[in-house]
Amino acid sequence: MIEGVRRAFERFRRTPAFMGFSLFIFVVILNIIVQKPGQFFSPRNMNSLFSKNVPLLLTTMAMTPLLISGTLDIAVGIQLAMVNVVSVMVFQQWGTSLYVGFLMGMLASLAISAFCWFLVSVLRLPAMLASYALIYIVRGINVLVMPSPQGRIPDAFYKMYDMLLGGVFPFSALFPLVVLIAWYYLMRTRFGRNIYAVGGNPRNAFAAGINPVWVQFQAFMIKGILTGLGGIALTLMTASGNPLQAEAYGLRSLSAAIIGGLGFGGWGSMACAVFGTGFLVLIQNTVYYFFSFLTKAIPGFTVTSYWQNLVSDVIIFLGLLMTIVTAKGQREALRQGFVRQFKRRERLGD
Amino acid sequence: MAVIISLMLFAITVAFNPPSFNANTLNAVLQLMLLLSFAAAGQTMVLIGGGLDFSVGALMSSAAILTTYLMNGQDGKFWLVFGLAMLMGAAVGFLNGFCCIKIDLPPMIVTMAISNVVTRVGYVLTQGSPSGWVGPSFRQSIVAKIAGVLPSLTLYALIVFPLVFFLLNRSRFGKQLYLMGNNPTAASLAGIKVNKVRVLMYIFSGMLSCFAGMIGAGYMSTARAQIFDEYAFTSLVAVIVGGTAFTGGIGSYTGSIAGALLITVLSNGLTVLQLSQPVRNIVQGVVMILLLILYNRARPVRQ
Amino acid sequence: MRGIDKRYDAVVACNNASLRVAPGEIRALLGSNGSGKSTMVKILAGLVKPNAGEILIDGEPVTINSGEDARRLGISAALQDLSLVSTMSVVDNILLGVEPMGRLGMVDRKKSLEDVMALLERLHVDCDPEVYVQTLMPSAQSMVEVAKAVYMKPRLLLLDEVTAALHRDEVEVLFELLHELKAQGTAIVYVTHRMSEMFEICDTATVMRSGETVADVKTSEVTLDEIVYYMTGQRPEAEAAHEVHHMAPEAREMVLEAEHIAIYPKVRDISLQAYKGEIVGIGGLEGQGQPEFIRALFGAVRPEAGTIRYLGEEVHFRSPADAVNRDIGFISGERNREAMFPDRPVAENIFAGRAARGMTFAYLSAKAVRDFAQAAIKTYNIVAGSIYDPASSLSGGNQQKLAVARWIALNPTLLLLDDPTKGVDVHSRREIHRILRDCAEKGMTIIISSSENEELLDLADRIYVFYEGRVSGVLSGASKTPERLVAAMMGLANTENNAVKEAEQA
Repeated sequence: MIEGVRRAFERFRRTPAFMGFSLFIFVVILNIIVQKPGQFFSPRNMNSLFSKNVPLLLTTMAMTPLLISGTLDIAVGIQLAMVNVVSVMVFQQWGTSLYVGFLMGMLASLAISAFCWFLVSVLRLPAMLASYALIYIVRGINVLVMPSPQGRIPDAFYKMYDMLLGGVFPFSALFPLVVLIAWYYLMRTRFGRNIYAVGGNPRNAFAAGINPVWVQFQAFMIKGILTGLGGIALTLMTASGNPLQAEAYGLRSLSAAIIGGLGFGGWGSMACAVFGTGFLVLIQNTVYYFFSFLTKAIPGFTVTSYWQNLVSDVIIFLGLLMTIVTAKGQREALRQGFVRQFKRRERLGD
Repeated sequence: MAVIISLMLFAITVAFNPPSFNANTLNAVLQLMLLLSFAAAGQTMVLIGGGLDFSVGALMSSAAILTTYLMNGQDGKFWLVFGLAMLMGAAVGFLNGFCCIKIDLPPMIVTMAISNVVTRVGYVLTQGSPSGWVGPSFRQSIVAKIAGVLPSLTLYALIVFPLVFFLLNRSRFGKQLYLMGNNPTAASLAGIKVNKVRVLMYIFSGMLSCFAGMIGAGYMSTARAQIFDEYAFTSLVAVIVGGTAFTGGIGSYTGSIAGALLITVLSNGLTVLQLSQPVRNIVQGVVMILLLILYNRARPVRQ
Repeated sequence: MRGIDKRYDAVVACNNASLRVAPGEIRALLGSNGSGKSTMVKILAGLVKPNAGEILIDGEPVTINSGEDARRLGISAALQDLSLVSTMSVVDNILLGVEPMGRLGMVDRKKSLEDVMALLERLHVDCDPEVYVQTLMPSAQSMVEVAKAVYMKPRLLLLDEVTAALHRDEVEVLFELLHELKAQGTAIVYVTHRMSEMFEICDTATVMRSGETVADVKTSEVTLDEIVYYMTGQRPEAEAAHEVHHMAPEAREMVLEAEHIAIYPKVRDISLQAYKGEIVGIGGLEGQGQPEFIRALFGAVRPEAGTIRYLGEEVHFRSPADAVNRDIGFISGERNREAMFPDRPVAENIFAGRAARGMTFAYLSAKAVRDFAQAAIKTYNIVAGSIYDPASSLSGGNQQKLAVARWIALNPTLLLLDDPTKGVDVHSRREIHRILRDCAEKGMTIIISSSENEELLDLADRIYVFYEGRVSGVLSGASKTPERLVAAMMGLANTENNAVKEAEQA
């Protein structure tokens, strides 16, 4: 039994999610220390954490299939805003139910994703530059659809988003939960194997009979759906429309994904996305509590949101730095292992 | 070639709106073009070397804020500000270069992350509201008009342009930069210290961006936070329009200057045609995508 | 396969080549460097399309345009540069593209997991099947590659140098499997350069040379010498034990001494000396560690073991720049990847050596570059339109002369060359040889690795031959003959010889 557990742990240690998992646990512990377990795990706190951060989580999850299949789209942030403004404007101007608005928003997200797929996968433009150009285009579209922040969604909707099911489970957490279940299923289909192959070694995947362009299309469609969900969550959270929000989500979700352990092709999992986002969110929490503690402890010490933002971005930067160090470390350790075996066989005479 | 297109575009703009053809407009176009050229100088170098510097915008904004703050409406502080700005540019540039080498991530992400940090530091230091004005004679040296059309800013260009030309075309560093950008493996095997060249190019880019920020502050006379952040993207577009490949090893600063002219004229045209901001955003994005398609060199999976 | 032609630009890989295999037959496909054998395998696997010729299966002509086509025809291949996705697990790799489907469109792994485990056990691959391929030793990875090819129960199995990374016991296990497959009626094509293996397991052999099929024999009816003759056009003349000729140290100044160099994974134990004014050749079949070794001397690769002494003192180059600063030059045969700057003008390409050394911000006038380039073009007869044309506009031979000019102009003490005349036309090649000989006479030390035996015999004073990561022979003076060279290349110069002779009798 112990052997089984040990084996399972060894296996887990080799997965890409291990790093993200460790970081996540570390930061949860930090939060517990700072906030005391009773308060940290309280339903109110959990609800607040989730409802504020589910859009970011969904964005990182949207990034995941792209990263695994070897591309990326840094415009996901502004696409959230697009779903938001389309939903609100359709609801407002066309007088239909908000559900129809959401549907239109989802369609818009899928359309933009298809366009991005075309640029990156078919035309093979460099993904970072092309998707950054896409940010400008989507920005323009957003403002054309909704020239200034406006709109208000019916109370019922956003109250539902903020509520606790059964007094315990945050409604907003349903979103990522559903996604995880769907992803669990997808991973067990051929598609699940295919994206890893295409991202890991497109030539060999092609040799094995897989069509990289088609697989990436499917990945982009999934990303479109997830971005749509993220936009819906964002709409429910802000209860209004804003064409130029969430742009920063692009780089943040990419950073979260990388910190969580995702690589640029063939390496990583949805768990990485979850752990990476969790790390980012909770570490900001920790910083916030730390600062408010300082404010109480040192009289006259005020901290503005500027400091908090700075620390957040510095942490993101350090996180990026660190992950690559560990990835390199892993590779080096692997190589050293091989070299040692190589030398040993030499001495034993081959 | 970009120059020809610029002239054509300008002619079209004038055709649409004849009164826009006057000394003032020309002056404004030239000023903006020169400012963009300064911003594009560093970006040109980095792109030729095979990298990408996304912190151009953030550094420009930070340098602008620094300039207005330190000068505070007085004269005589130019060299102090210049020295500090150069220091800041070099330090951030070094950080950029160092991280791009050590971290395996694409330079765009690394420099983007660093530029975010730089912006945040700016916010903290100014508490969100930058203050001050540029010194009057400094401002004059930028916006005064020669012969009614040419901005005195051109005099700065007379220093910057030859400097960049020297670095790119007549110095050993420039030769190493081009070679490294075209084929880093071969460059390394030819004995070029590629890491050193990389860090240097980012340092230069940082310093040039800060210089552009100073000039920008002079042009705008005050600065607000993130005022020039857009230049990260526009400098990139200008450089690529000007013929520098985003894969590295090809390009020239004269091309970037022509590219800057084109972008400025295009922007001016869009304003004259009274196209709204969102349409201009879309146009910018579309232009970049067209450029990427034009210069696309990626090979398909099946050979 | 009949009448297969394949050309890559100017290089002819296959010229009217042919190959025939029957069910239950294990046919060896043999050939020296550049013989076209790997290309034939790639064509069958669907990775390369021939320019001409036809492929018949069961007498019916077929076209193989992709790996998918090959698989549908029952062909599977295990290649030397593995077709595995290293970031996926062993099981996933073996099942890639052929995952069995279960309910709801999900992959039914449990069913196939048993089969995969059984296969892996048969191949003695002792690992957790869920581990990522990249964590496995190269020998295990090769076995997984074979497992992948065998899993789909092919009618025709292609094995391209799969034993390169395997040890003796692993090879035995593989052979057991091959015997089983043979009994089941699978046709097998076995590409190798290890003659002992060929005699041991193969029934028949097809030999290719310079893209053409030159022989089609039964292994029981042919001798080793005959095979080697077919492969190289020379009859090997091996000695029972090779003698390493050490030059009498008297008047000779040692420029470079490498001792017991080991580089993972190809170089096991290589020692080499080079003296002033000498041209030292390095020969052997492809992939025996020559390029890695040369790059270690240049500081582009770090050896795991061994010492390098340059001009008497021990050196540890951390990058090529270190070596260049000590007056060592390196000319690579992989022009496109390692030597040429394709979009830069010819003048800059030639000037690259001068660009690498010296003060970083020194002023280099356009005139200086131009004069330098023009002088080089004249001296080395480089044919170029204008010196401002991009280097990619030059022919292969002229590009190589450009690379030579770049380095010789710096007057290095030691010049290293890695297969410099690969794919270069005869005329340019002769010119380069002339240049090299001139330089050696003037005191430059030259170490040149080449896959062309003629070149080595022509140029080199002494030739080291690499085989399986070690020096299998050092030829000089009287022993510097084509026959001895071929023997050393095949590893026949020592105990290998006996193993082969034994297998031959079997």
